[in-house]
Amino acid sequence: MVKILLALTLLAGAVQAQSVTGNAFGTYVNVAGIVARSPVATLPTTGGMATGQADTFGVPGSVDAQRLNAVTTGAVDNKKTGAQSTSEAEDVSTAGGAITADIVTAVVTSYFGQFTGGSDATGSGFTNLTVNGVSVTEDVAPNTRVDLPGVGYAILNEQIPTGNGVTSWGMTVNMIHVVLQNVLGLTTGEIIIGSASSSVTR
Amino acid sequence: MNKARHLSLALGAIAAILVAVACQDAASPPGHITAGGSPPPKEGGGCANFRLTGGGRVDQRDHLGYAKNTPESHDFATFGFQARPTSSCPPTDGSGNIEWNEHNPDEFGGGFAFHGRVTFFTTTTDETAGDSRCGRFGGLGRLNTRNNGTLENVPFEVNHACDVAEPGVGNDHIKITIGDVYTRHGILSGGNIQQHRLTGNN
Repeated sequence: MVKILLALTLLAGAVQAQSVTGNAFGTYVNVAGIVARSPVATLPTTGGMATGQADTFGVPGSVDAQRLNAVTTGAVDNKKTGAQSTSEAEDVSTAGGAITADIVTAVVTSYFGQFTGGSDATGSGFTNLTVNGVSVTEDVAPNTRVDLPGVGYAILNEQIPTGNGVTSWGMTVNMIHVVLQNVLGLTTGEIIIGSASSSVTR
Repeated sequence: MNKARHLSLALGAIAAILVAVACQDAASPPGHITAGGSPPPKEGGGCANFRLTGGGRVDQRDHLGYAKNTPESHDFATFGFQARPTSSCPPTDGSGNIEWNEHNPDEFGGGFAFHGRVTFFTTTTDETAGDSRCGRFGGLGRLNTRNNGTLENVPFEVNHACDVAEPGVGNDHIKITIGDVYTRHGILSGGNIQQHRLTGNN
């Protein structure tokens, strides 16, 4: 029975169209009517490579970053399929200076071979991160929430898995995700810095 | 799943025990890179019957582990590439692109972003020669340094990019040489390198 199920699974995989996705962007803001995302790299579904670079990105009071870079690569192959994306920004300051970092790095990869698949964000991290004026000297655990008084809150190293874990695998990592709130606690905007995502489907 | 946790209390504790840590970054020997060079010689390698894609991060040098460096360190590089042979071999012409971002301020130009265009693709000729999991490619590229401006037509060679296993972290490894003075060689601390069959255009 197990062999039959395995054979059916592999057969179904062979019939389905394989695909990859990859996306990366340096910074996204949706603040006070300003909506912007830059730089952006989007992988064709058949694979290949896409890049985006920007010397600087700034929205006064919301975000300032230098030397932004987004790269995504991948390939579709019956033998082995994968996609990997990276996003980086340097000299980052956001939420009125409540969060700063020398370097913000997002790395994700998704892959499958003949029998295994997976996705992870290993390699993502911050260099010289400060939150509310305090240095963070250890790696930030996935999905760490920090309160930003007078601003809202942020999720650091936000990791969002996608796919069913059987025929599809994927992940999005947002290294800094600021949610802006008013005095009533209602969301008024958001800022994302260092975002990378990838997925594969058998 | 996406379990969020608060850092506020932890940040206070971290602030109380902050210790200054001297960062000793290994770097390539000092030197100069001359713009307008010729592509590195492609001789020596054999015809390759595969293509390569990859992306991720390298921290440690010369296979001395694969851990991500501590959060105050700038000593790491990120990359993304696709490369393949372009025609029936010989000749060993190739095509593709690579992005390589070096963050170590002690490296050439105080760190740099490099965009290379692949002109040849072969099997490897260094210590990985004979390893069917590894490929070699190179060409010319543009080097944007932090301190020394932009250099065009700088030769580069990925001496080897090896798809050892899935996932790539802790398994796959890469060695790149840019000009005569920069090299980084290490096991991936994030991302993946994949070897694919020669099908399709991507």
